[in-house]
Amino acid sequence: MSASPPSRIGIVGCGGRMGRLLVQEVARTQGCAVGGGTGRPGSAIIGRDVAEGAGMAVTADGETLFATCDVVIDFSVASVAAESAALAARHGVPLVLGTSGIGTEDQAAIAAAGSRTAIVQPANTSLGMNVVFSLVEHAAAALGTDYDIEILGQQHRKKVDAPSGATLALARAAATGREVDIGQVEQRGRRDAIGRRPVGAIGMATVSGGDLSVIHTVFFAGTGERLELTHRGTSRAIYTKGAVTAARWAASRPPGLYSMADVLGLA
Amino acid sequence: MIGRSPMRIGVTGCGGRMGRLLVAEVLSLPDCELVGGCDRAGSAVIGEDVAAQAGLDPVGLTVDDDAEALFQAAEAIIDCTNPAVAKDHLELAARHRTILVLGTTGLESEHHAAVDAAALCTVVVQASNMSVGVNLLMSLTERATAVLGPGFDVEITDFHHRDKIDSPSGTTAMLGRLVAQERRQDFAQVARKVRHGATGPRQPDDIGFAVSRGGDVAGDHTVILASQGERIELTQRTVSRALYAQGGVRAALWARDKPPGRYSMRNVLGFA
Repeated sequence: MSASPPSRIGIVGCGGRMGRLLVQEVARTQGCAVGGGTGRPGSAIIGRDVAEGAGMAVTADGETLFATCDVVIDFSVASVAAESAALAARHGVPLVLGTSGIGTEDQAAIAAAGSRTAIVQPANTSLGMNVVFSLVEHAAAALGTDYDIEILGQQHRKKVDAPSGATLALARAAATGREVDIGQVEQRGRRDAIGRRPVGAIGMATVSGGDLSVIHTVFFAGTGERLELTHRGTSRAIYTKGAVTAARWAASRPPGLYSMADVLGLA
Repeated sequence: MIGRSPMRIGVTGCGGRMGRLLVAEVLSLPDCELVGGCDRAGSAVIGEDVAAQAGLDPVGLTVDDDAEALFQAAEAIIDCTNPAVAKDHLELAARHRTILVLGTTGLESEHHAAVDAAALCTVVVQASNMSVGVNLLMSLTERATAVLGPGFDVEITDFHHRDKIDSPSGTTAMLGRLVAQERRQDFAQVARKVRHGATGPRQPDDIGFAVSRGGDVAGDHTVILASQGERIELTQRTVSRALYAQGGVRAALWARDKPPGRYSMRNVLGFA
């Protein structure tokens, strides 16, 4: 009995830091093969090998990438997310879209594409962080507003958006637990005379510097005690492994917009 | 609850650190009435006013060493004393059908058997830790252990003030037991309470403990779940012991309508 052919996984932005790691992760995962990779038009990476020995060159041609792969992963930049989603929809190819900082308009386009193909849009692909999302939701529900919620993200100097996607996702999880709309209660960036803390507010703060491993902490500060739920990411491999897990899961799903909780069975 | 009389609560070991906080908490709540406090024979607080020795205005109740009279007079007793008297107090609670909130730590299997026996006759809330946060930490620890599976190593740390006499703390040990239970392991087999010197590599099933003592730290507990490239840390920090007193009184009020039986603080708080 011959094994089924490996899933061909394409990588958008395969020359970037996450892109290179994703190519390596796909190449070493049983049952997967690198199906191709794209870079920005004019980027120095165009024409180079996607992966050593893979026998294919990096192109700027997203159309061909989506036409020839079974599933595509895009962890590149927010500005191409909507385009990737549109290509995925047109070719009926599942997509794992891991970029953070996507605007409202682009997000609507991504949601629309989700009606035509499976799109996994993880706030974070690591198993541990997704477990923390679910613990935060549970704790917020159990504790109520007697315990003030604050979220602190610590990130390396190269990260370009703040709060991080994970910080925002933690805030959403807390709001879900409390059954409130995060838009109504979030507080970002406090300075000068801010007045008393509103009851029920969910605060976010970010520190950034050096090569800090990525640390996220959710504080539940009550009277006389506090709880702190922390996730520390010390290797990017947790994200690339999760992304490949999501890609393989998405390959056999009907159209829809999915979260990592769906992939991991935590939903 | 309109028209209901305040719950008549007594405090054993009322001259101790927790006892004084419990006296203050009971006196501060309109739905509670302090019926008295007792302490061990020979204690310096015998003969003093129960509230005055807790740093409050006198209430005209005198601390004595007659626990039986207190169990007889009270609807509920909150007991944060020591294991040596736990069995006596459980027997008194059973004899007089008094609700007992047992916050004493360091209980051994003989004490737990006594809890079960008393729970046939009266309500016993056995709560080694009465804080909301610690009890939620227990529930979060169980969930995380169940979902993450054996690929994540579990280690537990505790940091308490310099006067604490047992190690690891009762709460820390309980967290370890819950992890072992969730993983269907025998806690005694997998608990590594000390590591020192050439320990060899960590055994996959180990649940490791690290204990720190110093200063006035009221109590910090952290459960660490560590894997390749990431780890989760679940921490509860106690800032004020008054929290435990609040939990103790909350447990007593909750127990008022309950049939005889053994209950936990998680039952009181409604945490699964």
